[in-house]
Amino acid sequence: MQRRRLLKLGVGAAVVLGVAGAGVALIKPGLVDGRLGPGSRELMGAVAQAVLGELLPAAGVPAQLDRLDATIAGLPVPTRKELSDALGLLGTAAGRYALVGLSKPWREAGAADIRQALDAMRLSTSNTRQQVYHALRDLNVLAFFTAPANWQAAGYPGQREVA
Amino acid sequence: MSVQIPDPILDGLQRGWKVHGGPHAALPATLDCDVAVIGSGAGAGITAEMLARAGLKIVIVEEGPLRSSSQFRQRELDAYGELYQEAGGRKTVDQVMNILQGRCVGGSTTVNWTGSFRTPPDALAFWGERFGLSEFSEAAMAPWFEQVERRLNIGDWLTEPNENNDVLRRGAEKLGIPTKVVPRNVKGCWNLGSCGMGCPTNAKQSMLVSTLPVALDLGATLLVQTRAARFELQGDKVTALVAEPVALDGAVSGAPLRITAKHYVVAGGAINSPALLLRSGAPDPHGLLGRRTFLHPTAGGVALFDHDVAGWAGAPLSVFCDHFLHTGPIDGPVGYKLEVAPVQPGFALTNGGGIGADLVERARDLPRTQLMIALLRDGFHADAAGGAVKLRSDGSPVLDYALSDYLLDGVRRAYATMAEIQFAAGASAVRPVHEQAANYTTWAQARAGIAGLSMKPFLATVGSAHVMGGCTMAADAGRGVVRPDGRHWQLANLSVHDGSLFPTSLGANPQLTVYGLATRLSSGLIQHLGGKATILA
Repeated sequence: MQRRRLLKLGVGAAVVLGVAGAGVALIKPGLVDGRLGPGSRELMGAVAQAVLGELLPAAGVPAQLDRLDATIAGLPVPTRKELSDALGLLGTAAGRYALVGLSKPWREAGAADIRQALDAMRLSTSNTRQQVYHALRDLNVLAFFTAPANWQAAGYPGQREVA
Repeated sequence: MSVQIPDPILDGLQRGWKVHGGPHAALPATLDCDVAVIGSGAGAGITAEMLARAGLKIVIVEEGPLRSSSQFRQRELDAYGELYQEAGGRKTVDQVMNILQGRCVGGSTTVNWTGSFRTPPDALAFWGERFGLSEFSEAAMAPWFEQVERRLNIGDWLTEPNENNDVLRRGAEKLGIPTKVVPRNVKGCWNLGSCGMGCPTNAKQSMLVSTLPVALDLGATLLVQTRAARFELQGDKVTALVAEPVALDGAVSGAPLRITAKHYVVAGGAINSPALLLRSGAPDPHGLLGRRTFLHPTAGGVALFDHDVAGWAGAPLSVFCDHFLHTGPIDGPVGYKLEVAPVQPGFALTNGGGIGADLVERARDLPRTQLMIALLRDGFHADAAGGAVKLRSDGSPVLDYALSDYLLDGVRRAYATMAEIQFAAGASAVRPVHEQAANYTTWAQARAGIAGLSMKPFLATVGSAHVMGGCTMAADAGRGVVRPDGRHWQLANLSVHDGSLFPTSLGANPQLTVYGLATRLSSGLIQHLGGKATILA
């Protein structure tokens, strides 16, 4: 028996997804105490490398995840809840396959696989997949390029001296 | 040489301003005043100064924090989290459009790009014809704008535009299309380029550094990090405003307080003002509340030059072009105003699209990137009738706004216009901000490429920094939420003094229209409440 559940993503989407049986009740929240939980760190780390390409070597992933935690901490409470639901869903095999089109688990998929999946979402005619794409992509890009350590990658000299 | 910039807010706090909430003095359980002003942005700031100068006892209620020049570090990360609604991530309900709107003392005036345009005469004429606002003609509004322009030092920006803006001027000139210099509300501007992150030198004459300090010096009370939750209503009267302390992330952080007043002025900005009335169960016999909310849907066009543009440096908005607002009737195919947007890396690369190698290249090219924008004039055609403000289950507002085919047709035309101007200015490549677009290196290639783009929400990146409407002002209750004097049609002691009054969008950045209307409506309100006659300047 299929159950339908409405999920709303704060920086993403309203997602209606059929999830088999009681599976939906077992989805772990993506955020734990307002921070990326273990599954979400794995997911977002993999997505960050696909989105940011050569700007983010593997050694830079923990710092990017910390930046994401800081960015997420500033989001309004309802947005954080929605993001938590969405990341939780994307952490399941069914959610990952249905929304991202990725058959391999996040930790096994390479950056090229994930980038290919994200590219398909980017051009998708499905509002839901577009919403998920922007939630994943925009959070990573914003967190990365608002960090002074990464301004050099964009040739940005930083703030002007005023005092 | 090191220069110490004074911070008028810290000075005022030292002088003993009555500021409560957040890290300031504790919020009292109750407050009583002549007028409670909800919000502290363009409409609220003007209203607060005028009412305070009229001798009325006022309380200003602001959801966001009090931040000031010594805390404005020109950093996107700080600014979005502290100074913008929903940490800069406010979106339409379908998540298609990002909405930039201020949430701090001074509201959007603290973070806007200083463009100060009088209401376009064709918009005022439309309001007269369709909403009975015939008393709001260009001539009738002129004296009110003159007052504001004097008060906020509004005038044409006479310094050379930065290259980001000069591309618009130069390219349009080559094509024989007129552009103009943007009037700005600045005094001694340092030409830094960080207007969107709060002015670190107090040059921008936002409400934060102009009207609100006057009101506070006259004894007004300011509540910060305090959200107006709902009105208590009895018959045709508001009997109290219930407000609640909130943390920076919007979470309720303490016990509610109750504010009683003779009169209540709602000026929390479009989306928030109608939402407060919706939460309060305000009478809405014609189903108009929250409807006709407009966004100036805004499309972008990127150009690459062979030299540095450094679009982050210098006054972010100093040249504009209104030609494409006037190529057809106001209620024909949608017209658009051309401006440019600053190219700070977080803003430009988040909104500019791309992943992997494309994103790396766009980042690398950022110093030579020019970013033009086209603001579509919604609200004048049946297929651009605006969105509707709705409430989530927790009472927070969200805007349901459909990006119609009519509007997307305007986006496509704007892409072509921007590309042609950018090439005329010497661009080596252009790229409409659309997920299917590539870098086009000739005008012919761009024209063909743009014609082939699929114009759908999400594929075309469209955002907004101007939210208007939702509490329409009109000459009769069947067409509006408030009367031409700003008072609510059904609630006798409640007025609306912000951009939610607009019956349509404007085709111009809205701050000066809000200021002008607030000046006029406050003058009338003072008379109504028996205060001392006051002019703004």
